[in-house]
Amino acid sequence: MKRIGVFVCHCGINIANTVDVDRVVEELRKDPRITHAQSYIYMCSDPGQELVRDTIKNEKLDAVVVAACSPSLHELTFRQASAEAGLNPYQCEIANIREQCSWVHEDRERATAKAVKIIKSIVAKTYLNESLEPIRVPINRRAMVIGGGIAGIQASLDIANSGYEVVLVEREPSIGGHMAQLSETFPTLDCSQCILTPKMVEVGKHPRIKLMTYSEVEEVSGYVGNFTVKIRRKAPSVDWATCTGCGECMEKCPVKVPSEFNRGLDDRGAIYVPFPQAVPNKPVIDRDNCVYYRTGKCKLCESTCEVGSIRFDQEDEIVEEEVGAIVVATGYETLPLQRIAEYGGGEVPDVIDGLAFERLLSASGPTVGEVRRPSDGKVPKEVVFVQCAGSRDPERYQPYCSRICCMYTTKHAMLYKHRVHDGQPYIFYIDVRTGGKGYEEFYHRAEEEEGVVYLKGKVASIFRDGDQTVVWGTDSLAGRNVEIRADLVVLATAVVPGTGVQDLAKKLKIQTGENGFLNEAHPKLRPVESITAGFYLAGCGQSPRDIPDTVAQASGAASKVTALFSKDEMEQDPMIAAVDEDVCGGCRVCISVCPYDAREYDEEEEIAVVNEALCEGCGACVAACPCGATQQSNLTDRQILEMITASLGEE
Amino acid sequence: MTRVAYYPGCALKERSAHLERPALGAAEKLGFELDELDSWTCCGAVPPPSEERIMNLVAPIRILKDVRDTGDEVLVTICDFCYNSLKRANHRVSTSDLDRKRVNAFLRENQPKRDYLPSTEEDYRDYLGEVQVMHLLEYLRDVVGFEEIAQSRSTELSGLRLAPYYGCVMLRPEDEIGLDSVENPTIIEDFLVALGAETVAYPYRTVCCGSYLSVSFPESSARLCSNIISSAAEKGADAIVVSCPLCFYNLDSRQKMISELYPGTKSIPILYFTQVLGMAMDLDISDLGFDKHYVDPEPVVEKALGSLKGGGSR
Repeated sequence: MKRIGVFVCHCGINIANTVDVDRVVEELRKDPRITHAQSYIYMCSDPGQELVRDTIKNEKLDAVVVAACSPSLHELTFRQASAEAGLNPYQCEIANIREQCSWVHEDRERATAKAVKIIKSIVAKTYLNESLEPIRVPINRRAMVIGGGIAGIQASLDIANSGYEVVLVEREPSIGGHMAQLSETFPTLDCSQCILTPKMVEVGKHPRIKLMTYSEVEEVSGYVGNFTVKIRRKAPSVDWATCTGCGECMEKCPVKVPSEFNRGLDDRGAIYVPFPQAVPNKPVIDRDNCVYYRTGKCKLCESTCEVGSIRFDQEDEIVEEEVGAIVVATGYETLPLQRIAEYGGGEVPDVIDGLAFERLLSASGPTVGEVRRPSDGKVPKEVVFVQCAGSRDPERYQPYCSRICCMYTTKHAMLYKHRVHDGQPYIFYIDVRTGGKGYEEFYHRAEEEEGVVYLKGKVASIFRDGDQTVVWGTDSLAGRNVEIRADLVVLATAVVPGTGVQDLAKKLKIQTGENGFLNEAHPKLRPVESITAGFYLAGCGQSPRDIPDTVAQASGAASKVTALFSKDEMEQDPMIAAVDEDVCGGCRVCISVCPYDAREYDEEEEIAVVNEALCEGCGACVAACPCGATQQSNLTDRQILEMITASLGEE
Repeated sequence: MTRVAYYPGCALKERSAHLERPALGAAEKLGFELDELDSWTCCGAVPPPSEERIMNLVAPIRILKDVRDTGDEVLVTICDFCYNSLKRANHRVSTSDLDRKRVNAFLRENQPKRDYLPSTEEDYRDYLGEVQVMHLLEYLRDVVGFEEIAQSRSTELSGLRLAPYYGCVMLRPEDEIGLDSVENPTIIEDFLVALGAETVAYPYRTVCCGSYLSVSFPESSARLCSNIISSAAEKGADAIVVSCPLCFYNLDSRQKMISELYPGTKSIPILYFTQVLGMAMDLDISDLGFDKHYVDPEPVVEKALGSLKGGGSR
């Protein structure tokens, strides 16, 4: 007969105020299956753990149940304590009498009775627990980073500088992301490209970073420590190995396409590099717009290229990479102007978004840093900035705060003032949110020293009248409506997840939330991990954030990866699905319900087996199995039935 | 000739009766008959449509149920308010199980005692939202087709500069009405272009006219309407085109008060979209109801006729 000891925690008054702990112990002592029962004020404290260890030895316990808070908090603590006393850690279980009992009830009598039932049901389960060993999985100590913005760059550098190889996959022809488009950064006003490009160069030259730009992840298989990733290397139509990046071809190209990098404020050719500091600085041909691909004639670039690097017949290539961990740093887009009909729907030429204004301010931008409006190139004298354009608007657009706009709009207004001294910037805002080091001071500087006019209120409508852009808004502090006949309007459009993130998340089998951002494993305590093992998150793909936070998160993700790589093999929780080979009929229902691809069909044995490294122990296949062949280790059907019986009071 | 069930509503039978006649005549010329329901009641616009109670469903759903029971699938209105209350009630009944059950339970127990319609509770068939409610503009766009109208119009209204005015209830709330973009609608513009007119862009086309404030606070409505009128006039509009009898009243009749409160406001004729359609379909001028306007639309009519002389006739 198994000797089980039960320890009931008071949790100060958290449990003891609602649950009569002494009576619980009294009740438990009456149960012949329980060898030992006692309570203690804080089980998680050192003396509490000591108590567990000593009692295991003195009472020769085979298993332990700790009745306390949620197992998500202290299961590990007590399993370790049990292991120190010589028990198999999986012989230690937690009965949650706090979150599931004392915290949610008021009636002391009934809460006490319920606590007894919860504990007895866990005792019933523990009775049938088997001693398990963690599953050991070898680790391929090589990482992949998806996305080459500042988040992906930082994560790649951190991992590579820790001595591990990194494959950095970027969809665009160059790394750099949105940070490369920015003029200056808040609150210090240092030049964005000046601080970014050294990191880009370091990535480009790093011996342990394999850079794959103009490439997209096609397929991911495997599991933490052992992923196989198929990557589509889109044909740049240029042989990058021989191309010198001289740029002659771009000058000769007759095509004019609105430049994505410059937000349509100027044009690029069909053969192009997105911006002068691109890494790698090699051009690609945009086949949708290239005259040759559309008409079969032109080839001006080919005749110009002195080294003969143009390859019109180049094809996409699928390559495979084996990695042990994947950092997802897919970044953001902004809500298209076309979506916001009341602000002109993208049809008023002098209504632009924040990224376009960055390009107008940027020394490397289409106006070489002079603020000139798109319609006629005039220097605007009245500029209206509209915050929360599509953010914090649950009825029509995005419900959340995009987090970066308050600060970048303040920066925009300030930089505009620095460029156009007699100009007047106005900012419409709901609240000015300045949570960050030096941010509040930056805002005050704009308002008090730089002459930026802040108007607390929403903008109702923006339309063109002659060559002016009229803004109708509310000044809610003055309690009146205002009309500003502006020369230029800049919308702080909502930050939304990058395009294609949903598809990618499906391929990676990681989760996204209701607004399409990638979900972290725990919003506070595991912010850089995905719930799916082996995937780590960095940057705005997870939620809107500014550069300091993005870099910090990327370094956090990188250190998680290097922590994983610090071991040769990894231990995984053994509480996963297991198959009784004699019972399994090979119907394969389990394979169809498994969200992790952990169930496979063994053709030889004609049964469905479990890939132990992939199984997350979710129980979907256990529930689906029609003959009971699949059982969750230490949570078998028999254990569940015993638990139900115990919680019903065994009448 | 295609027959379409038609719900006129109170305004188009009383104060704004002159706006209905051109609709009926023009429809006939376009090959369909607006067939007025045999019996109808108030559309329910008066109990505020925003109140989420059951009473404001009773009138519109009773009307729609009768339309369904006579075998019609589409019901056309020419008044924005009727359109709004019928369509929103229909939407609620189609999407909310609770509203559907409650209004049907009420209607089943309170069937009108009509001596000419012997009906019993047993005959009652729950109304599930089967009828499609359409604004005449919507019917012209989606069933007849603006292109077809452009082909079959008799008079080209070229040279007329018309400013569309949308008001509020034809488009809102967007997810329940879904006729056009609420912020950037084009249906009236597209309609006028099909008739050969030129449209005038001005910022006030979707801004409130004051609606029922006209009754309780006429000065407020006058202030709002003066903005609309001045803006359209400033942009060179010959007339403003509306699709709602209340907008029509506020913008037209209120110009008397506007001229007193805001002297110097240029007066501008207000046309109902049915009248513009009537002109284009070459209806008899005397049937277009122009004599009932506060601001005389004669200059506009003359301009239209001028274009007729200019060779627009087919």
